Amino acid sequence: MNFLFAVLHQTSRNLLLTWRSQILSLMTITLSVLIFSFFYLVYTNALDAGKRLGDDLRLIVYLDEEPPPALQEQYRDKILKFDRVEKIEFVSSIQAYNKFKKQLGKDQDVLTDIPKDFLPPSLEVYPVRSLDSLSKIKRFSDYLQTFPGVLKVQYGREWVERFYSFIQLLRFVVILSGSLLVLITTFMMGHSIRLTLLTRQQEFKLLHLLGATSNYIRMPFFLEGALLGLFGSIAGMAALYMLFNWINLRFAGSAMLGMFTFNFFPLPIIAIIIGVAVVLCAGGSFSSTRKIFTL
Amino acid sequence: MDRTENNNKVMVDLSRVTMNYPPDVQALTDVSLQVDRGEILFLTGMSGAGKTTLLRLISGIEKPTKGYIEVDGQDLSKISRAGLQKLRRQTGVAYQNFKLLADRTVAQNIALSMEVAYRSGVFIRKQTRDLLAQLHLEDKHNTKTGKLSRGEQQRVAIARAVANKPTLILADEPTGNLDAETTKLVMDLFLRCKESGTTILIATHDRFIYDQPGNIIQLEQGSIIDGTLPADQEIPGRNES
Repeated sequence: MNFLFAVLHQTSRNLLLTWRSQILSLMTITLSVLIFSFFYLVYTNALDAGKRLGDDLRLIVYLDEEPPPALQEQYRDKILKFDRVEKIEFVSSIQAYNKFKKQLGKDQDVLTDIPKDFLPPSLEVYPVRSLDSLSKIKRFSDYLQTFPGVLKVQYGREWVERFYSFIQLLRFVVILSGSLLVLITTFMMGHSIRLTLLTRQQEFKLLHLLGATSNYIRMPFFLEGALLGLFGSIAGMAALYMLFNWINLRFAGSAMLGMFTFNFFPLPIIAIIIGVAVVLCAGGSFSSTRKIFTL
Repeated sequence: MDRTENNNKVMVDLSRVTMNYPPDVQALTDVSLQVDRGEILFLTGMSGAGKTTLLRLISGIEKPTKGYIEVDGQDLSKISRAGLQKLRRQTGVAYQNFKLLADRTVAQNIALSMEVAYRSGVFIRKQTRDLLAQLHLEDKHNTKTGKLSRGEQQRVAIARAVANKPTLILADEPTGNLDAETTKLVMDLFLRCKESGTTILIATHDRFIYDQPGNIIQLEQGSIIDGTLPADQEIPGRNES
């Protein structure tokens, strides 16, 4: 019987001996993975939505007068010093008038007799579309306000701030559920293994007397934890996938989901979540078995 | 005979071993003893004479207060954890209180000593069946040891001790719960082990046992009183049963 076979044999025996508590552990891990990955899925989709914000992430800086090319260059340099932007556009009073006229369409006759330079010239700044820019947009706006000749800075403030708060809340929930996952997997596995150790003290003492190596005793628990982590997280991800499909079917075409595409995790993320659960459970089990040697 | 040659010949070497238990119990005093490879040695003496303590020291469960113990050429005071584990896998111990797992079957209990030595499944199954047949326990293969009589439990403990074909067997009162017929079965098993080169130390009160071929040491109040006597030497109580 080689080492690997002996460990597998011991592991299957351990699992059979304690199958009731193993099922409970498996369900708890499944639930923790499901809770964490559900919020993480919502969070990543919200981030993607943030990246597709489009024109809503535009800051319009109204100026008191047409800036000469040298000042335009100065504005550009100052903006680029603050943050990365997708583009910066200068809109003269005439360009603003023409844009407005075009927007009015068949009602453009209301502009008759109004001077073509009645609208202020402006600077349109398009930050890079990301959550990072979203969080910085208020500071960006305050910064632009300090430029000489600036009358007012305008952006979809309320919408952006609400969205940002939502993302912040989601981030908090993801961290909370992630911590829950870590705590449950390591502590619960650890405690469950410790209970097993207590109930099987006599057996471990005997194994020591028979000359069992530390690895012979500890590895089955490590493997047990890894298997629970693997199957628990696979079950959690499968449950999330079913929930995801149900949400997509149930809310297909609704206004809420119409705003953004709801995507499932790519395979590498699924693999990372499963991998982390396996490592946490196996680590929790293995560290608990240190107690065996102080029995 | 030089030291190396002597080391190869001697399986267990105790030199001036003393064992005290707190507060003031002197279990062994200045015990010196050599057991050759392939020898059977009977440790006799009254209860409390120090037989069990001697076996516990040789198996490395306890460390002596004073003195030197070498088993299979290894100094037990300097042996590493891995070394001790290996030595234990090569030593079969039949404990006085059996140390069986009551919720496991007879076969599972016997298999333990072979599993920790990574023996193959085929070897384990064959060896278990053979031993159960030799000890007349074939029908108990799948019985949990908690449901066996004391005598049956004792035989299972002996089967586990010899199962891994150890180079040294330590048996503490191995026939204490057995009738004469079963005692003979157990002794026949030990003698077969001896024939294959195993060294055997048996702590016993049983006069039938120490009537068998082998050397005898009598302990009294933690000291050897007669040195090692050959099998044909008369000692008090021998052949009286």
